[in-house]
Amino acid sequence: METFINPKSLFHLLLLPCLLLYSSIAYNSSPVEAAMHTNNWAVLVCTSRFWFNYRHMANTLSLYRTVKRLGIPDERIILMLADDMACNTRNKYPAQVFNNENHRLNLYGDNVEVDYRGYEVTVENFLRVLTGRHETAVPRSKRLLSDEGSHILLYMTGHGGDEFLKFQDSEELQSHDLADAVKQMKEKHRFKELLIMVDTCQAATLFNQLQSPGVLAIGSSMKGENSYSHHLDSDVGVSVVDRFTYYTLAFFERLNIYDNASLSSLFSSYNPSLLMSTAYYRKDLYKRRLEEVPVTNFFGSVMETIHTDAAYKALSRRNSGRFEDEMSLDQSVHHIKRRMLIKVNDGDEIHDINPEGEEGASKCPWSTFRNKFQKAENVDSLLNYGLVAMIPLLVISTWLVQ
Amino acid sequence: MAETKEKSLSDEKPKPRVRPIVRLGIFLISHSFHFSVVCCTAGVLALFLLPVLAKNTYISENALMPGSASPMLSNQHVSDGNRLVKDLTNPNSKSSETGIESHKIIAQYMLDLGAEVSFHKFHPQMNQFHPLHFFSSPDSGKIQENYSCSSYGINTVGIIRAPHGDGKEAIVLVTPYNALKSGFGEALSLGIAYSVFSLLTQVTWLAKDIIWLVADSQYGEYAAVAAWLREYQTPKFSSLSTPNAEMCPDVNNLFELKGHSISGSKFSNSFRRAGTMASALVLKVRDQNEQFEDTISIYAEASNGQMPNLDLINVVNYLAVHRQGLRVNVEKLWSLLNSSWLKSLGEIFESLAKVAKSLYPKWKFGIPATEYVEGTATLASSLYYQALGVPTGPHGAFRDYQVDAITLEISPKFSLDKVWRNDILLRGGRLIEGVIRSVNNLLEKFHQSFFLYLLTSPSKFVSVGVYMIAFALLIAPLPMVAASLYVDANSSSNCSKGDSSTPSAITDTDEHSIAIRSWRWLNSAKLVFIVHLWGAIVSLLPYFISQIPDCSPTTSFMIWVLLSILSLLTLNSVLASPLACAKATQEKEWALVKSVTISSVFIGLGLMSVINFATAEIGALLMVPMCLLAQPLKLDVRAGTLRSFCRMICNLVLGHIAFPPAAFFLLKGMLDGFGNANVGDFWMWVESLWAWNSATYLFIVEVTYIFSHG
Repeated sequence: METFINPKSLFHLLLLPCLLLYSSIAYNSSPVEAAMHTNNWAVLVCTSRFWFNYRHMANTLSLYRTVKRLGIPDERIILMLADDMACNTRNKYPAQVFNNENHRLNLYGDNVEVDYRGYEVTVENFLRVLTGRHETAVPRSKRLLSDEGSHILLYMTGHGGDEFLKFQDSEELQSHDLADAVKQMKEKHRFKELLIMVDTCQAATLFNQLQSPGVLAIGSSMKGENSYSHHLDSDVGVSVVDRFTYYTLAFFERLNIYDNASLSSLFSSYNPSLLMSTAYYRKDLYKRRLEEVPVTNFFGSVMETIHTDAAYKALSRRNSGRFEDEMSLDQSVHHIKRRMLIKVNDGDEIHDINPEGEEGASKCPWSTFRNKFQKAENVDSLLNYGLVAMIPLLVISTWLVQ
Repeated sequence: MAETKEKSLSDEKPKPRVRPIVRLGIFLISHSFHFSVVCCTAGVLALFLLPVLAKNTYISENALMPGSASPMLSNQHVSDGNRLVKDLTNPNSKSSETGIESHKIIAQYMLDLGAEVSFHKFHPQMNQFHPLHFFSSPDSGKIQENYSCSSYGINTVGIIRAPHGDGKEAIVLVTPYNALKSGFGEALSLGIAYSVFSLLTQVTWLAKDIIWLVADSQYGEYAAVAAWLREYQTPKFSSLSTPNAEMCPDVNNLFELKGHSISGSKFSNSFRRAGTMASALVLKVRDQNEQFEDTISIYAEASNGQMPNLDLINVVNYLAVHRQGLRVNVEKLWSLLNSSWLKSLGEIFESLAKVAKSLYPKWKFGIPATEYVEGTATLASSLYYQALGVPTGPHGAFRDYQVDAITLEISPKFSLDKVWRNDILLRGGRLIEGVIRSVNNLLEKFHQSFFLYLLTSPSKFVSVGVYMIAFALLIAPLPMVAASLYVDANSSSNCSKGDSSTPSAITDTDEHSIAIRSWRWLNSAKLVFIVHLWGAIVSLLPYFISQIPDCSPTTSFMIWVLLSILSLLTLNSVLASPLACAKATQEKEWALVKSVTISSVFIGLGLMSVINFATAEIGALLMVPMCLLAQPLKLDVRAGTLRSFCRMICNLVLGHIAFPPAAFFLLKGMLDGFGNANVGDFWMWVESLWAWNSATYLFIVEVTYIFSHG
């Protein structure tokens, strides 16, 4: 029997350890900087029950509609509604929810996906959603599957007080719980940036314990202040929207997905005399300047577009983008490292002026890596190391073949 | 008295270290005279201060949201109501001697709206005195044997099911209606209820079923509502109603006629039910009136001083005043309104408040003198009706089943005018609609607001925490005085013994005598018990007297008095003879008797305040001074000083005032003038009290006993 080594299989054998090595170096070099804003999530929570809290559900549904309109898809919105106002027997308009007395807009239309409803909305479930510690039976649609490139909007409304938010008339979420959950999220790389927006009485106190970087928080009222409802719908017989949310919505109604309004313009749009409370935002944990952050970074799903000159680059980029999508849905531990690798590669591509048309057209993403390894000078030394490491493997494989 | 005891205390107890609370107790006991004077005065003063301390009412239950929805009752519904009023006042409908025609009309109207309709036939239950049913729930499912076909009433019941509701709760709307001699007011109240009912058949927001009960009031409003409620709350599983229906062809006929005329309709012969009652509204319209504006009177007192939840009154008050522009009244003792001493008292409080405000601007407790007088008059009537324990309207029947209910009586400004009639139908209807919508929003029973309160105006109340202070101050001296009397009696007898016997004998018999002496109060307790027993017998006598047929009130009262005296003599001869000789040997025993009496009164009043505060308060006002001043007349006569003479006079006056018949006449005389007072009236009054199983009755026993003792 002849003994020969196929050059192609040899190459594959070589490739694997190299990849591992390379990716580990890439990961260690810059863990945080490397994560880019890649996707958007929203967790919208209405925590109070009962018919007279109609407005809290209307608040949440209005925000749900807004973020959906601005581009966050349904599968990336976790909607938690503690009660069902639409089908409440006291509702004069069955199966409809309004946030304005003009009744122009039915918030409870055809495309509302409520992920947690009724008594499912508990502090426990809320914290599970944030931290991702679910039981195995929980379907993917009810999980917050964010990663370290995610921008998350966390909106909560209900009845609150000094450093707590009431859930379901029986439980409380305390500011410590929230801070702890956010810290866990940070450690598990579940977000890049997090905007917490709370519309309750004394909302600002809920942020007191936060300490994780990348968190921006805004509340409807300061300590000792109440948050008020905006107006009463005398037809339905209840207040239909809270002031803070009403003016937030008013701000967003003017925007579409292409608008470039910044967070600071949103925050400065709150008028204390109209709110009858002082909107408070905490930004000491947040690095970027608010003037430079578009609201769509949180309330929509608008990614940063990276411009490339040539068409084929765009094609390759699309490929890698699709790949990344698959990855983000992956639950394996490895995917973080692998995604990092892609990103670095992308960066390489961008800086690479030398085109290689026939290779770039390849559909297989791995082919791009092969190209890299074949021509890049700076990986020469790596390659050598890899070869050295391969020698035992080579010996074994030849022995096996014989 | 105080000084002597103090001395004796200091002699007896040279102990160096006593715990502060014990020391305080000893101090209070030793100064019990001053203490009781101060406390009683403060108690009475606090009672008069209550109107000043009253707080504004507020709606405490979030879910209620009264007035948040705009009324939907339109002129269409009003004209519907008007149609019914016209049909009912039409002379043709009154032709039938039993008034069945008008019930048929009402039922037909209800059916036309698509409601479920049924008739409820009931036999009026005579008010009967059940001495042992004071605290038991109203007798349920009692079937009387001796029906007569001629005397029965028919309640017409219409039920709207909530379109999306689960049918577990219901709101009841009651309109008393006497088909035989209905005034225009009753027809109008039916019109209002009908217009609301016709609206409610159309709305989508009902979460609770609506029951409209047209209560046949020819045997009294209360009886009709109570009979229906009894049937509603205690389902009968045996079919006892069928033989009755067979016996009385008239009713049967009525049912059959209904069944035939409307085929496949929602009419049914059987008793219809909806869910648990969340609350009930009784609606009345007064026929004649002297008011200058449309007013609405709220009657809330149920049996034994129970009140509906304050939130219900608040909702009605808020909607009536702020939405429909009606003036709201609660009952007042009108005679107090013109009393000059109250006015001057109010002025004193007002000026005091002004002084206080000038001293410290944050003290704002003053109210104008006129407001004070009105508040006191309302408070007095609130106290009176709660103490009496007789419900002020048909709503009382609901309270027996723990359903919050009130009676609303609308007294309109003019009459006869058509525009005015539409207006009152619209406003009354919208008020009822608003209250129903508000109660409809409730998620639980009424529980947030107060159940124990006194009203001083429709929008002001005194809560239990405040009015209990007055009562506590009033009865606080009782245990102190009792203790001091006990200590006194013990020490004085000790002294006398020490004088008489030789020193050697003291050491011998000391322990033994102490042991005997410490049990000597049992003798007094026995006496007190006997008097209590007599009181109980006296209070049970009327039950037997009422069994005697054909007795006028005056004669039965006489029989009662005679029997009472007889029983006293019997008791005295049978049980109290050994006691009498004991009394002869020891003159000083009276102090012990008084001490035991006072402690039993204290316990009694304390218990009564839990059952019915108003009764206890009024009782305390009468009994506490009497208990504190009581002194054997013989001793006072013997002493002959001015002070003892005054005390004797006070005792005699107080004793007579507090004797129930005397108190009744005095009150009646003050209110109505002495001319028409009559012994028979007292009998009637007492009879009405038994009928309601009133706790007041117990109080009367107590007073009777005290008097016999004093």
